[in-house]
Amino acid sequence: MSNRIITPVKEFEDLLPQEYKDLVADGPFFAEKGVDDLGTFKEIMEQHPHCAGCGEALGMRLVLAGLPTPQDTLIIGTPGCSFFGLAQTALNYSNTAFGNQNAVASGLKRMLQIRYPDKHKDVVVMVGDGGIADIGLDYTLHSWFRKEKITTIMLDNEVYGNTGGQESGMSKEGKVLNMAPTGKKFPKIPVFELAKTSGCCYVAKVTIASPKKIGKVIRRAILIAREIGPTYVQLFTPCPTNLKFAPDQTLKVAKEAEKDYYPFEEFISDDAAAYLAKVEQAKGDGKS
Amino acid sequence: MMGVRVAEDKCIGCKICIYACPEPNVIKLTDSKKVTIECIKCKSCLLCVSACPKKALTKDEA
Ligand SMILES: Cc1ncc(C[n+]2csc(CCOP(=O)(O)OP(=O)(O)O)c2C)c(N)n1
Ligand code: SF4
Ligand code: SF4
Ligand code: SF4
Ligand SMILES: [Mg+2]
Repeated sequence: MSNRIITPVKEFEDLLPQEYKDLVADGPFFAEKGVDDLGTFKEIMEQHPHCAGCGEALGMRLVLAGLPTPQDTLIIGTPGCSFFGLAQTALNYSNTAFGNQNAVASGLKRMLQIRYPDKHKDVVVMVGDGGIADIGLDYTLHSWFRKEKITTIMLDNEVYGNTGGQESGMSKEGKVLNMAPTGKKFPKIPVFELAKTSGCCYVAKVTIASPKKIGKVIRRAILIAREIGPTYVQLFTPCPTNLKFAPDQTLKVAKEAEKDYYPFEEFISDDAAAYLAKVEQAKGDGKS
Repeated sequence: MMGVRVAEDKCIGCKICIYACPEPNVIKLTDSKKVTIECIKCKSCLLCVSACPKKALTKDEA
């Protein structure tokens, strides 16, 4: 996609739905918007069928607001609840066979670099914890070993939400779920640590209780993936339906996790830090 | 109908509710720096109500 493609042809402008016109006039495509601007512009995600109080829906909404250039972004998904919201989003979006997301993203990124040698096309994987830590772990790690210039975002709700509550590798040890009646038998898989040692040059861990941090780390992760190498963001997005808490408690659950076992963490390689300092200085941002 | 009511006199326009809502394009900031809620798209999760530091939001029982 590009702003040229988004721009309606004059003759057909009137026929377009209001939501589309709003996106063109008031969305994040022609004027840069960020998480700070939420509530004052037309967001690129539309109404979606996620459960009330879904942490994953909130996480995606914040990530999407943080994309530096949505018109030049390609999102790669895989089965999981996230495809509900992503399918309702005004972005180039491709689903994949469960777990194949980082293999598909690698191919698309390489193809886009050939097709648009003078332009940044950001390839961003956004999928669930089961999609990354379980069935897609091999493809994910190999894309990092190969230093593919893509950003991987895990929406970690610590469960297979979409299929009714099986344990994932990211579920907490001892957690009882609909389809883990005696509790999970081993700790959360250390994907964050694996990312650091497997080739990612920027790695961040954050929760939906810190929206501005999400905006900052998404921007950093995407800018660094353009020039330096693979980046990974692990976002805690609790699921009221399967973790069985009331929908108005989602942020409280995230805040408590932040204090207890999901603290904000950021890792950046030396070359990525040097590059980031340069681009953040040029733009006058990066303050936190 | 489901929804949330805004007490305009209490709202300070801090936008915390906007960062708390899982539904896109539902809570908006007006020119007078207060929020409005498009209740037809609201799922009544009440996350915004729990998040508001000024108790400016309440569940609309009507
Ligand atoms: C190869 C394959 N195996 C199993 C499934 C069924 N399936 C769909 S979503 C899902 C779990 C997704 O869990 P997660 O990645 O954590 O995403 P969430 O729904 O929690 O967001 C499974 C097992 C599938 N679609 N494809
Ligand atoms: S099952 Fe959980 S993750 Fe899926 S839409 Fe519902 S609340 Fe969100
Ligand atoms: S959180 Fe409360 S005070 Fe802040 S903008 Fe929302 S309604 Fe107003
Ligand atoms: S109740 Fe939930 S869906 Fe409705 S406006 Fe508040 S946060 Fe959004
Ligand atoms: Mg999950």
